[in-house]
Amino acid sequence: MTSIICDNDNQNKERLSLHVLCLNSESSTVTIVRYCLDRMQQPQVRQLLGNARYDQCPIENPQQLRPSESGDRNPFSFTPQLIHLHKDHEMFEDGDIHRHMYLQDLYTSDKDDKPALSVAEFACHISGCSAVFSSLEEYEHHYNSLHRHVCSSCRRSLPSARLLDIHIQEWHDSLFTILAQNQDMYQCLVEGCGQKFRTSKDRKAHLIGIHKYPPDFRFDKSRKDKGGRETKKQLHKDAAMEVVPDVCKSEGVCEVLCEVLTDQPEKEESMEMHVSEEDVAHMGQCASAGEPADVSAAAHGCTGMEPQKPRYSYRVPTTVCFGHGSVRGFRGRRGRRK
Amino acid sequence: MDTASEGQGVVDVFHKIHHSGPDREAHMKVLSKALRDPSAQLTFIKLENSMHLLVGLLTGSDARCRLQAARCLHELSRSPHRDVAPACLPATSYLLTYLSGQSTRFTELCLYTLGNLCPDSEVVQQKLLAQGIIPALASCMEIQRHNPAVVEAVGFTLSQLLQTNDAAVKVIPTVLASSLPAQLLSVLAPDPNFALAPAIESAWCLHYLTSSSRDNKELLSRGALLRCSSLLVSLGGAEGNKEEGLELLVCPLLRCVGNLLCCCPVEELNTAVADPQLVICLCALLQTYLQTQPALARESAWVLNNLTAHSNTFCSALLTFNLVSGMIHLLPFSQGINTLILRVLANIAHKKKDFCVQLAQLGLLSALCATLKMADQEMVTLSLDVLFMLVVSAPQVAEEFVQQGGVSLLEAIQYNSKGEMRGRATYLLEHHLLSQ
Repeated sequence: MTSIICDNDNQNKERLSLHVLCLNSESSTVTIVRYCLDRMQQPQVRQLLGNARYDQCPIENPQQLRPSESGDRNPFSFTPQLIHLHKDHEMFEDGDIHRHMYLQDLYTSDKDDKPALSVAEFACHISGCSAVFSSLEEYEHHYNSLHRHVCSSCRRSLPSARLLDIHIQEWHDSLFTILAQNQDMYQCLVEGCGQKFRTSKDRKAHLIGIHKYPPDFRFDKSRKDKGGRETKKQLHKDAAMEVVPDVCKSEGVCEVLCEVLTDQPEKEESMEMHVSEEDVAHMGQCASAGEPADVSAAAHGCTGMEPQKPRYSYRVPTTVCFGHGSVRGFRGRRGRRK
Repeated sequence: MDTASEGQGVVDVFHKIHHSGPDREAHMKVLSKALRDPSAQLTFIKLENSMHLLVGLLTGSDARCRLQAARCLHELSRSPHRDVAPACLPATSYLLTYLSGQSTRFTELCLYTLGNLCPDSEVVQQKLLAQGIIPALASCMEIQRHNPAVVEAVGFTLSQLLQTNDAAVKVIPTVLASSLPAQLLSVLAPDPNFALAPAIESAWCLHYLTSSSRDNKELLSRGALLRCSSLLVSLGGAEGNKEEGLELLVCPLLRCVGNLLCCCPVEELNTAVADPQLVICLCALLQTYLQTQPALARESAWVLNNLTAHSNTFCSALLTFNLVSGMIHLLPFSQGINTLILRVLANIAHKKKDFCVQLAQLGLLSALCATLKMADQEMVTLSLDVLFMLVVSAPQVAEEFVQQGGVSLLEAIQYNSKGEMRGRATYLLEHHLLSQ
């Protein structure tokens, strides 16, 4: 409701009559108003209203004043209004269509259809890994998938730093084992959940029941499966063939077997020399760097000098940057409209 | 290529992948291309163990096959068939797990796949939420914040999630409680790392957040209004800046500012929108897009309304920066723009008598003489309201209106079918115009 405040030099009678104007008045009051107005000079009325300031009222129901055809009550009801528009409001329709068309149009598949270069440009620098790549991106993906987040004790590669931390804690930390006997130590794997459990079985039940994870989630293997892995390591030469059917029904823990990654088996002979040289240099580096957590593994690697056995005696620090800050331009977007 | 042979092609490739050795990656490339075809997508998901195989490759020890598996899933996620998205569910927990990894291209693919799977299936949405997609997106954005392509992909996926039914209840509270709002806002910062595509996605996310609820205190407290309005000023201010795609960012920014203004208390407005030149920017957008994209012009006018509704500062700015004449000239235009512009002018008139006098001097009265003749009832009613405010502001205004032949216009309105209009016209005539 618009309230009109009159200037201080107005006489009370005039103010009273003006206030009456604003209210939903009954017929008797209307008569009084009319009387007052008739008595007043018209220019005075105009002047009074002219000196009025409109209050900034909170918007409740600006239409409270009913317009009247007799014109003796102020029928004007404009008040400034804040307008909030819901996302489905019709006024947003055109802009939304434009947005959807943008998402549709930018799908390009050409990016991935580039013919692979016949000459390999990059080789993985991890000792024992003889994979080669034709682009930095491919190398980055290879490295991130298989050499990053690698457990130094059992050489398993985990998909993320967090899962690696959990793995190390649960598989290789004797303090954890002790604490786990009396308190809930097994963390839920879903980031942000925060719940902990007494056993890995309880955690698994939680993952399946609450988070709708698959029962055979591959990054949540219990420790007793570790035994099976150890025996497999002996057969790394045969692993090239073993991995293939394994992928279909593998238990899913990402075993890092770099020697199988080369897809050009005839090159293996020539690569071996390369690898062993790298091996030497790498071992040298490790010894001098003196990674504390993995001294035993490094030492073992140095004395072993067997190119076929991959040695990961360090955990890649998270500050290692691949592609960060490189100029990429805008990739072909792979969006899809809603 | 006809459907039948393509379907057979998919079956053949699937078997090759199932049984092969070193050539597997090549076969998977063939599969991913084949899966661009919608009928091949259907064929594939109906093959026994096809998804199981794909998931196995996605999580296997061959990095190249992982990438190809992700590509295949991405193609499947784009399917127009409703059955395909639910068939991809076995892969989602892994796609989410990989979001915390470091591979950029692979992460992008996982993101777009997840984003594509969101819209059509409620089953999929529920599962993704249960599997922790929101914390995963927050973590991904944090890890990859220096990579524009991945940030863009996170923004896209989040925007898909925010548009689902019940997002206001099931998604938005969790998003607001996460680090995502702060990250989205940082993407809009005009620093050297600014990139258009990720900014577009972030702005659309913020739009869905601010438009789904009237309560945006959380975002306001993080400086969302300041960030969005500042960016808008940077973009809209450049007169000749017609970079393609800019309106894709301007649009959601306008909407964010418009809706955020609704819950910003007047006393905080000057700090929340630090730059009064925002009004210049909005008027420039209004003029720029009037012919080419009237919807965007309309949204600019809407923002101006919200900006001027309760603020003397911004009303005054419109006058100071000489923007009112330009707005008055837009009153003859339709498409919903003129009512909003008239509301803005009414907001100005409502503040002070002095503003009314200025508006009259700038030609609003003669413009009203035109708008009072329009067929649009809302426009006429509003015109009468504005006229009232002008007329009572100063005697010379009423006189001028009479001189411009306004009386006969009002007398004509007295025969209008709508009581609202008749009442207003009569009141004006009786109390202010005929009693001289």
